[in-house]
Amino acid sequence: MSNTTISTSNHAVADAILEPILNPANAIEIENVTVSFKASKGIYTAVQDISLTVKKGEIVSLIGHSGCGKSTLMGTISGMVKPTAGTVKANGNVITNPGPDRGIVFQNYSLLPWLTVYKNIYEAVDAALRNKSTAEKKELVEANLKMVNLWQHKDKLPGHLSGGMKQRVAIARAFAINPSILLLDEPFGALDALTKSNMHVELLKLWNLDNREKTIVMVTHDVEEAIFLSDRVVVMNNGPAATIKEIVDVPLPRPRNKKEIVHNEAYMSIHDKLLSLLIDKFSINDIH
Amino acid sequence: MKNIFSIKTLTSILYFLCGMALMGGIWELVSHLTKHEIPTPKETWVVFKEVIKNPMQDDPDYKGIGTKLISSLKRVGIGFGLGSFIAIPLGLLIGSSKIAMGIVNPMVQILRPVSPLAWFPLGLAIFKDSPQASIFMIFICSLWPTLLNAAFGASHIPQDHKNVSKAFGFSKWKYLIRILLPYSLSHIVTGLRLSVGVAWMVIVAGEMLSGGMGLGYFVWEEGFNGGSVAKILVAIIVIGVVGLVLDKIFMALQKKFTYAV
Repeated sequence: MSNTTISTSNHAVADAILEPILNPANAIEIENVTVSFKASKGIYTAVQDISLTVKKGEIVSLIGHSGCGKSTLMGTISGMVKPTAGTVKANGNVITNPGPDRGIVFQNYSLLPWLTVYKNIYEAVDAALRNKSTAEKKELVEANLKMVNLWQHKDKLPGHLSGGMKQRVAIARAFAINPSILLLDEPFGALDALTKSNMHVELLKLWNLDNREKTIVMVTHDVEEAIFLSDRVVVMNNGPAATIKEIVDVPLPRPRNKKEIVHNEAYMSIHDKLLSLLIDKFSINDIH
Repeated sequence: MKNIFSIKTLTSILYFLCGMALMGGIWELVSHLTKHEIPTPKETWVVFKEVIKNPMQDDPDYKGIGTKLISSLKRVGIGFGLGSFIAIPLGLLIGSSKIAMGIVNPMVQILRPVSPLAWFPLGLAIFKDSPQASIFMIFICSLWPTLLNAAFGASHIPQDHKNVSKAFGFSKWKYLIRILLPYSLSHIVTGLRLSVGVAWMVIVAGEMLSGGMGLGYFVWEEGFNGGSVAKILVAIIVIGVVGLVLDKIFMALQKKFTYAV
């Protein structure tokens, strides 16, 4: 009698330990979300009735053509856009506003041009983490700037940095508030191909350093980037009233190697699949 | 050091000298055409040296041109300072709030086109003192450009900057000092530059009306009433050069507060 109780409680303990590993909690839950805007010609619906769940520690890309509402959908997660219908939850809480549990990296870096690299990050940390002491905040800024190898450039203004460096500042700023969810809105879109490749590797390195616990959602229109970084790629239909066309799994083992991965057969078939989902005309012969 | 003597600076110095020579030539020509009613540059130069011989003279019956210049600058400084002190915060306020804009804008639109000189008798009626009336006039006319430019700056803050504030939860105070003010600063300085230009133009007219002190009085009393056209020309040159210097100061500030993105 007593033995059975012990064994069941042992099971319970084991389950409690294993459960989050085998079946991680949902970091983001998007439920039947519709976003409409008032436009000059009536109401414009950007995304319609979208549901999507992202697990903790997952990297998910939203991909689609320009204006397909992927940034709008991302906005509902960051709290910058309010859904017209439906709810979005982050770590179980309904999102109403931006919060320090979600770090955002904007497409055009969005650094304040009159503040030094250091100050740009410090002001964000200072605003987002009000309970920390000044010394703790300074420590966070220093650690994150060193992490992206920009400590020696800390006193420069953003105008004196290259595009890649600016984006590293923006990433350091998002990491500095230590969010459990990282939202990247076309983060590498403005960078040249070489810088972009380096940034992909650096981003994954940061994610690894953090024991792959951060959930990352990224908006992109770059198929290779989406496959290299993500666990799942969400392909969206063209707007208006965009919906999810298909969700493609990327079961490639990590760590992934940029050079080797392109020769991997699974990679190639995912690449082909994504291309055919995104493009329906492949040569001029297909245009009638 | 090398940069100072680059080809670019040398050519711009050359252009400047050409411009000056051309102006001198036209001046010379005009003075010949008017049969020396307008003195030649050379004759004016003689008067100029005489005028600046004792510039800081400050006797009760006679004041040197430097003393007069300083008294003009002082009045411009007070009027312009007070005007800016009110125009900058008010401009930022109406730029940030549609309601404030709706209330203040019609007033500004009505009062702005009024000639600064029209405010002089009003100032005289209020203060019963002509130096104070000219300060009042400067105060009023240096309000508008600063007000409108500050409002423009505050109402055109890029969405990117607002997003940063929203995403990281900036407090109102942090938004004000880290985004609104720094972004508007270059616009504010543009406004100040325009304002100080207007103020400097208006002070001369004001001093002609009020009499007693300043460069305007010098032009009127010593130049016109004293029958010395050369003194009028000397005053015009001094007024022009000082105006240029004021403009350059604010231009340098403008450059300082403009940031590459």
